[in-house]
Amino acid sequence: MLLGAPPPFLISKIRELRGEMKEAIAYSIMGLGSGGFYALMAMGIVVAYKGSGVINFSHGAIAMYVAFQFYNLRTEGVFRLPWFDILPTSWLNLPVRFNLTDGQPMNFWLCVLLALLTSVLIGALIHYLVFKPLRNAAPLGKVIGAIGVMTYFLGVASLQFGSTIPNPEAVLFKDVLFKNFLGLGLPVSVEALALAASAIIVGAVLWAIFRYTRTGLATRAAAGNEKGAVLLGYSPDKLALFNWVLAALLAGLAGILAGTVTGSLSVGKFTALIVPALGAALIGSMSSIPLAIAGALLIGALQTFTSTWMVGESWFPSWLQSGARDAIPLIIIVAVLFLKGKSLPIRGNIEEKRLPLAPYPKRVGKYVAIFVPLGFLFAAGLPGDFLWAGLTGNWGFSFTASLVAAMFGLSFIILAGYVGQISLVQISLAGTAAFVTARFVANEGPSAENPFAVGGPHWPWPLASLMGIIAAVVVGLIVAIPALRIRGVQLAVVTIAASISMWTLFFDNPSATKLQGGSAYEFGTPFFFGIDIGSTSSSGLTDNPKYTLFCLVVLAGLCVVVANLRRGSTGRRFLAVRANERAAASAGVNVPGTKFLAFGIASAVAGVAGVMTAYQTGSTAATNWEYGIGLSALAFCYLGGITSINGAILGGMIAGGGIVNTFGSFHSPGLYSYTAILGGLGMIATAIIHPAGQASIFQPLMRHFGSWLLIARGKEWGVVLKRLWPFLLGGGAWGAIGINPWRTDSWNRGWAIVLGIFLVLFVRNIVNQVRAAKAAKALPDTNSLQEVTA
Amino acid sequence: MSALLETNELTVSYGGLHANSNVNIKAEKGKLTGLIGPNGAGKTTFIDAITGFTNVSSGRAEFDGNDLAGVLPSDRAKNGLVRTFQSLELFEDLTVWDNLIVMAEQTKWWSFLADIVKPNRVLGIEEQAEWALNLLGLGEHRDKLTLDLSHGQRKLVSVARALAAKPSMLLLDEPAAGLDTVESQQLGKHLREILKQDISIFLIDHDMGLVLSVCDYIYVLDFGKIIAEGTPEEVRNNPEVKRAYLGETAGEMQAEGGAAAARTLSGEG
Amino acid sequence: MSEALLNIVNLNAGYGGIPVVRELNIHVNPGEVVALLGPNGAGKTTTLLTISGILRPIAGDIQLLGSTTIGERPEKIARRGLAHVAEDRSLFFDLTVQENLRLGLTGNRETRSKSQENALDMFPALRPLLDRRAGLLSGGEQQMLAMARGLASEPKMLLVDEMSLGLAPIIVERMLPIVRRIADDTGAGVLMVEQHVGLALSVADRGYVLAHGELTMEGSAQQLRDNQSLLEASYLGGEAH
Repeated sequence: MLLGAPPPFLISKIRELRGEMKEAIAYSIMGLGSGGFYALMAMGIVVAYKGSGVINFSHGAIAMYVAFQFYNLRTEGVFRLPWFDILPTSWLNLPVRFNLTDGQPMNFWLCVLLALLTSVLIGALIHYLVFKPLRNAAPLGKVIGAIGVMTYFLGVASLQFGSTIPNPEAVLFKDVLFKNFLGLGLPVSVEALALAASAIIVGAVLWAIFRYTRTGLATRAAAGNEKGAVLLGYSPDKLALFNWVLAALLAGLAGILAGTVTGSLSVGKFTALIVPALGAALIGSMSSIPLAIAGALLIGALQTFTSTWMVGESWFPSWLQSGARDAIPLIIIVAVLFLKGKSLPIRGNIEEKRLPLAPYPKRVGKYVAIFVPLGFLFAAGLPGDFLWAGLTGNWGFSFTASLVAAMFGLSFIILAGYVGQISLVQISLAGTAAFVTARFVANEGPSAENPFAVGGPHWPWPLASLMGIIAAVVVGLIVAIPALRIRGVQLAVVTIAASISMWTLFFDNPSATKLQGGSAYEFGTPFFFGIDIGSTSSSGLTDNPKYTLFCLVVLAGLCVVVANLRRGSTGRRFLAVRANERAAASAGVNVPGTKFLAFGIASAVAGVAGVMTAYQTGSTAATNWEYGIGLSALAFCYLGGITSINGAILGGMIAGGGIVNTFGSFHSPGLYSYTAILGGLGMIATAIIHPAGQASIFQPLMRHFGSWLLIARGKEWGVVLKRLWPFLLGGGAWGAIGINPWRTDSWNRGWAIVLGIFLVLFVRNIVNQVRAAKAAKALPDTNSLQEVTA
Repeated sequence: MSALLETNELTVSYGGLHANSNVNIKAEKGKLTGLIGPNGAGKTTFIDAITGFTNVSSGRAEFDGNDLAGVLPSDRAKNGLVRTFQSLELFEDLTVWDNLIVMAEQTKWWSFLADIVKPNRVLGIEEQAEWALNLLGLGEHRDKLTLDLSHGQRKLVSVARALAAKPSMLLLDEPAAGLDTVESQQLGKHLREILKQDISIFLIDHDMGLVLSVCDYIYVLDFGKIIAEGTPEEVRNNPEVKRAYLGETAGEMQAEGGAAAARTLSGEG
Repeated sequence: MSEALLNIVNLNAGYGGIPVVRELNIHVNPGEVVALLGPNGAGKTTTLLTISGILRPIAGDIQLLGSTTIGERPEKIARRGLAHVAEDRSLFFDLTVQENLRLGLTGNRETRSKSQENALDMFPALRPLLDRRAGLLSGGEQQMLAMARGLASEPKMLLVDEMSLGLAPIIVERMLPIVRRIADDTGAGVLMVEQHVGLALSVADRGYVLAHGELTMEGSAQQLRDNQSLLEASYLGGEAH
């Protein structure tokens, strides 16, 4: 009971506080809409995890695809299938696009039905084509599979829906508003509340499925003990199929119901909503549906509360304002994994394969001595115009791009290949290095020429670059802290969240970067003892061979560093940790220290790649460092071979904008837009067929040379030619007739021959691998249970 | 006291179930001490506790007179307490030789800088690794990947790897599992050979033949408790031991299920 | 041998192409309890895992109910009427006892409730625990549940691996007769792996002894009991005494 009346100033303070409380609550309630959306997504992630043990990074991409599908059906009755016209002709091809209503809006329920059918199709395809073959793969293989699917859908969606950013209408209770919800004084849209309510209803249905149906029970059973379920006669494959379809349906439902809650529909941003959904699923320990829903609603409420109410407070740091919303899921993910990472359920598969071997690099010095001059010769342009005709600009640029991509790939080789740590944040580290370097080399502020230029101390480029690389290492080590506690797949979750959040928090945040209106930092021309080694040549194109040479030298240096690390005690400790952390510790290896070291070195390498990329294009902006670009880079590196230096080099060659891509584009101008799709598909295929990647393509060329090229004798060349001549001839002939004569607009015969040979060798390599895999399969159980006691 | 490794009332429990309860063991310097017991008795849990791979609930473990509590597994290994694993856990990407070198080499934080400049430095531990390699007759497999070896050879590599660190005590977890009779006898010979090099051994195995023939002193574990100890001859004739192995006469009621649940949790198999 | 439920012919089984068990010949007839004995590491569990298809055999043949199981997936073999109570029991810890049992049931609604009743009649101690999570049961109760779940599918052939593992001998003594009853009542064949020789032979009709992956003895339970010293030798190693 009150002792007398409180003093008046306290009353007014309480009133004020109560008003603020009301406002805060109202804002939090508005956030329930996005919370409901996250809940639907999180349930899908949980279902997929229960059914197959895969953390489905592609869940957001699937929801995004169905959301676009639904939008297009609704507005113009266009139905699309989730692939592309891959066949070589324009008149005979895979069906992709169906115009159902001559551009008229379509019946709502029909749209829902078709969109959900798309989900079912996607779920079944993902199961049969990706995760069923990957069932016994190493955890990294499954992560790669999921990222491959994500990359694929990002690519297909960009191809089909382009860069349109439509604003979908609300599906639930369009334009209905509670003017003064619960007397809190603020309007709340009914749509948001209805979305939260539907998430809860769907959750209740799912809960019942997993409790009362045999398939649901069996799913839970197999998630806990797969062997037990198999011994009772349940097929893990069928259970996985059921759950993948269910998960895809949930993703589709989320995409359909999203309406206005998620704002305008953009391929990259909608896909990125995987992060809060992952956070919610983790709150539910990847297994509890009610907890996942609660977590999702909490994240939604917290986000709106932070981005609308808290940022209005005077104490809130201004540079955080635009990104605060996106920091919340990251914080939650890191916190959950840090606190209970070890208690998350791990599915004990009956058999599991290991990562591919990381080969011991040999003859490193000789390769460098041969390839750097050779590369420079290519870059500078051999005299004559057979190969060169009309190619200088593109050639120089793409060659340099490949070199830089290979540098970036090396950071994956160190971390994922040698230490088994799946980090998806490397792109942000490269970006950090580029941005920091830009700030240090900048001189004066805005000028008439560039009104958006950012000022700086104008340090010499080597010093500024060093600062950038140091910054990348610092950020990389901070990200590594959770890695010391978190195991493989979970690290991928943290790092993808970090990558996406860093983009909104830092790269795309003008108050942090001082870049106004999507402008870019400019880099001056670097001079090396008075020689212009900048990428811009006298023609104004970025094809200066001196810069290419610079890149070659840097790449060669990095390769030597990585090779030496692999060959020395550091590499032994890396691989020991990768093989088995317990055994490594018992061998006196300091496991956390070793991981930390790997993160540091890989961050430095990524930083170098970032700075080199920035100098290559002469400017850098937020769009260069989006998470999708990092995934695509990982895809090509994995395709090349994640455990070997050759893999990074091959990955660089085939990466987007690289040599092969440019050859191809010379041949089919549209090829650039297929980069992500091909990368995703290549990644999935590699994970399934040959996790060691395609780096072995170099082997038939190099195997027969003792001291390669320097003293290469006719006999050795003869051996290689004898082995490969049908392929060389066939590939050359294929190129000469124009690889795909039906789709060719303009092409250069010389390059098409080279491309043809490359493609044939590539295919030969894959065929050999499939054969080898089949031969290995004939031996039973080469990779099953380790314990041999009985 | 001359015991190199000594535990005092060591107890390990998982969720209230005792996997090891009040275990007192002394392993003397220069001796081969054995620990036997039926499946699920808690033997691997004991090694895990000694080497820091599982948490000790109560009691003490001392190595060379120093309390082991709070010492990192990697530091215990550096101090000379080295183990092998039942499931081998070899470093499969490395050659046999490199497997040994990882164990033997002492690295500093700046070693990576030295590696960048000169990866194949002479480390000064080659002799030791060479010795371990030759002792177990693996010389010809030196540069092979462990994947390319037979199961028995891999077992030997795991022992050689542990030896490369020149430990003062070697803890062997089921080195004979999956070996045939001849291989198992050979292993026994190797163990006596190792003992001569001033390396004490603590051996856990199922193969009673091996344990009874090579050990100096044996402890018998059942349901997480030491039920018998003594020389091989004493243990062989101990009725308690026969009962634990053959289950001929039902003993008193035991803490039911404890060891089994612990076994599930610790993943011993 | 066509009337044998299970007939193993010259089986080589193991891991990674390396046989742990060599040239094994075992058969089990309907209504028969057969003990597979031997010291640890002899290859008993490997044999059972190979029978149920979890491991692919390296060589040899396994015939279940007259037709081979080679190349079949384990879940299909299970549905042919084989129940395997695994060494680790393979229970679903997050599910209740009732749910664990339910997953073992086959057939239509009526036969299902009947099989569940039959299984619970064998292990009445489980009745009051139906709503408890399997992870919270004691070791003995877990073993009973694993057995009951295996029985719930009304198997024609039952494999039981190390039922006594981690259980006090008194519990084992209580459970072993149930194995006998299963064989007698349902006519199913039972192949049980056991460390406790004496207890196992007290209920078995016949027995095989494995050591270092090879059959060293076989015969009726009586014959094996009479050769106690030989048996002991294969367990405790070294010479018989």
